[in-house]
Amino acid sequence: MYGRKVKLRFLFIVLILITLILTAFLVLKSLEENVVYFQSPSEIKLLSELDKKKIRVGGMVKKNSIFITANEVKFIITDFKNDINVTYSGAIPNLFEEGKGVVAEGFLKDRSLFSATKILAKHDENYMPPEVKEALGKK
Amino acid sequence: MLFSIIGHYSLILGLLISLTLIFFSINNFKNSKSFDTKILSFTFLQFILVVVSFLCLILSFIFSDFSNETVFNNSHTTKPLFYKISGTWGNHEGSLLLWLLVLTLFIFLFLIKTKNQPIKYKILTLVFQQVIIIGFFVFLIKTSNPFNYLYPIPEEGLGLNPILQDPALAIHPPILYLGYVGSSIIFSSALAATSLNMISKKWASHIKKWVLISWVFLTLGILLGSIWAYYELGWGGFWFWDPVENVSLMPWLALTTLLHCVLVLEKKLVLTSWVIILSISTFTLSMCGTFLVRSGILNSVHTFANDPERGLFILIFLFSLIFISLFIFFFFHKPNQSNLNNFFWLSKETSIIINNWFMMYFLSVVLVGTVYPIFLDVLTSEKISVGPPFYHKLIIPFLIPFLLIMAIGPKLKWIKSNLEDKVYLISLLFISFLLSFLIVKNFNSNFLINTILISSALYLFFVTLRDFFIMKKNNISQNIAHFGFSLLILSILFNSLFSTEIITNLKVGETFETSTTKIIFKNINQKKEKNYKSVVGNFSIQNSNGKIDNLSPELRIYNQPNIVTSEADIKTTLLSDKFLVINLVQNQDYFNVRYQVKPFMLWIWLSVLLISLGALISLFKKEYEK
Amino acid sequence: MKNKLLLLFIISIFTIIFIIFYKGLKNTNVYTPDIKINKEVPSFTSELFYSNEVVKSKEIFDLDKFYLLNIWSSWCAPCRQEHSLLMDLMETKKIKIIGVNYKDTKKNAESFLSELGNPFYQIIFDKEGVTAIEWGAYGVPESFLIYDRKILKKYIGPLDEQSIKEIKFLIK
Repeated sequence: MYGRKVKLRFLFIVLILITLILTAFLVLKSLEENVVYFQSPSEIKLLSELDKKKIRVGGMVKKNSIFITANEVKFIITDFKNDINVTYSGAIPNLFEEGKGVVAEGFLKDRSLFSATKILAKHDENYMPPEVKEALGKK
Repeated sequence: MLFSIIGHYSLILGLLISLTLIFFSINNFKNSKSFDTKILSFTFLQFILVVVSFLCLILSFIFSDFSNETVFNNSHTTKPLFYKISGTWGNHEGSLLLWLLVLTLFIFLFLIKTKNQPIKYKILTLVFQQVIIIGFFVFLIKTSNPFNYLYPIPEEGLGLNPILQDPALAIHPPILYLGYVGSSIIFSSALAATSLNMISKKWASHIKKWVLISWVFLTLGILLGSIWAYYELGWGGFWFWDPVENVSLMPWLALTTLLHCVLVLEKKLVLTSWVIILSISTFTLSMCGTFLVRSGILNSVHTFANDPERGLFILIFLFSLIFISLFIFFFFHKPNQSNLNNFFWLSKETSIIINNWFMMYFLSVVLVGTVYPIFLDVLTSEKISVGPPFYHKLIIPFLIPFLLIMAIGPKLKWIKSNLEDKVYLISLLFISFLLSFLIVKNFNSNFLINTILISSALYLFFVTLRDFFIMKKNNISQNIAHFGFSLLILSILFNSLFSTEIITNLKVGETFETSTTKIIFKNINQKKEKNYKSVVGNFSIQNSNGKIDNLSPELRIYNQPNIVTSEADIKTTLLSDKFLVINLVQNQDYFNVRYQVKPFMLWIWLSVLLISLGALISLFKKEYEK
Repeated sequence: MKNKLLLLFIISIFTIIFIIFYKGLKNTNVYTPDIKINKEVPSFTSELFYSNEVVKSKEIFDLDKFYLLNIWSSWCAPCRQEHSLLMDLMETKKIKIIGVNYKDTKKNAESFLSELGNPFYQIIFDKEGVTAIEWGAYGVPESFLIYDRKILKKYIGPLDEQSIKEIKFLIK
């Protein structure tokens, strides 16, 4: 009924559509698996159940809380309302200091212990990560 | 003081010239018998004015004129001269002035270099380019004037962020901008050609030069940025999938695709819509990058300037450009209907198209990963970040067919006739598979995917290597570029598979030992330099085969602004890099020590240079043939 | 017809993207201060700049008096510009200016003050920027007009002639 050309064209469009849908699905699925959520110590205190996924915790490094041994660093992240203990063994960024903003990425052991796999600090001394700013600002 | 005034007024004059130029162009367009030479001289004048303005800013930096707000914010009297000068474009205002400088330079070059093209086309390109230039002038003068006057005049400036005081980073922005801005010429020219309905083979070979130039600069710019990240940031990597890096990768992907489409268009009149869409998207992606980086909307480790007002301006400007180009595309572009008929299934063109689709896929992955956090934040106010695993998972598997097509694609034309070649191609595939099997054998995780991945990269490597020796076709530029790409992928793969890392905390005099490596922290020295103090740690590292390396990483404590940076000590050899970086933990005796052995680091840089060399050859071959 | 539909579709997609980016831009200042006008000043304890004493907010602000709390820093360029206005305002003697020295080093701040004069009645040393957060500041400079321990008005960014006039009018 239809010409060969039309059929071919139709097939082509269908193929493209299927590929597009498949890609979109693939992309969304891996997004879901690989995004890292950000939480403040206070939000963690309120969690009803502990997530096994990787998260980020942000806040200030509490004064006099850094304690270092040969294979790990322990410190406390605070948002001035709640604290969380962090253990970490890995490279420490330059701007990691007491009283400065910090973002730690890793896994929650329980509501007051966080095992970090990465510590992020920013280039700029005057900079505070927006998430941290927000976390500190929520009263 | 004087320089600020001259610089500021040159900018305003430059803006006025833009308006005059548009007026002239409209007149010339109506009566287009001959090209109005006034246009050319005014374009030149505009370029000179921006040069003057830029020189004024450089001089203000050299003489540390702190009555200039930009200088005050980004410079300091104790800074070395080299970084005073590079500080000119190391900040938001200066870098935008540089954008403008390159914009005006390129349109001037475009006008004098473009011959044998219709006058109307030249004029229209100029008009579109001037629209962009006006946008940047207004943006610069209104929201980020580099010549803002400061009173009372401070005695000392605030200093340049030490992390930016690095030779690679000093030339990284200009090179990258040449690439970004080069794409603006492609954008304007594609719009002009579309409106005049003159997308043709002739146009393709004319625009190809500009595509190649921008592509080379963009590639080198990204390379420099990545070298900087490796040497200066001290994280021991060269690519972090950080939004700011992604933002430069996206135009690169679009431009690479465009380059290949233009090459096809030059031979056959197909893919015209693709070429236009890609020309538009390359530039809009570059602009989008500027927007994302400069507005502070992204949360990245690199963002410095946060100013929503600036962001708003770029955003509106960006979207007006997008809408203008959409209208031009839909109302003026007449696609030629014969598209599908001329196509063979097994041809060089089809393989290019398939790989273009792959490139578009990579582009969308990067795009989604970069902007998804913004969308989610706006829609649900949930804060997230998208990490490297996302990109790896979505990109790596598709590299396999991509590499294979890249290897076979250029051969498809004569693959049918030549039996000998078929045998070669198949046996090479077999060899690469065997070889990669041997390489990955001792490596337990992800065995299957790694084997296939390495074999496809090796395959491309062998096929292109063999082409160097047969040389039947004089397509040496493509061959070098593809060979470089296979080398790049191989180096990256080996680098990520075989890197080893030790992280530990050590006091001075302590030793750390694993089964293969022994790290001895011998002592520390202190030095005082002009604008920083430094603490140098002396380490000796012993490998299992008894070889000893002495590495001395450094901690720098800058005085203005007060920042500590780590300078990694890197021993580069042909086959691998040894990378050691230390960091002091506040108020503690322990140093945080990170030691990495990274194979084939040097080859990553070299292969990118090789890829750019391919493009350069293609560029000059063209000139030579004329 | 088909083309027009496609165009419409693409344009609407881009418009949505535009709106989202626009909103994201507004969101960049994610931290919106909860301090509203006519609200009590936040209570805080902080360190004084010269004496290193720790003070409570109640000790700084008396009832029945006008104060201008100014957040500043030596590295902030606009602060330099508004500084002469602050000096003027101090000379009227009708208002006490309290400085919050935001994320600064003492050395730089001192040279800043000796260069341009010191309009401040008292300076709070806020090295970590915590006090500024308590006040809900967007950035530096920022000023709060205070009377009876209540915030009358808030000035974001550097003060100018206009705002100084307003302040002078209000404190009469």
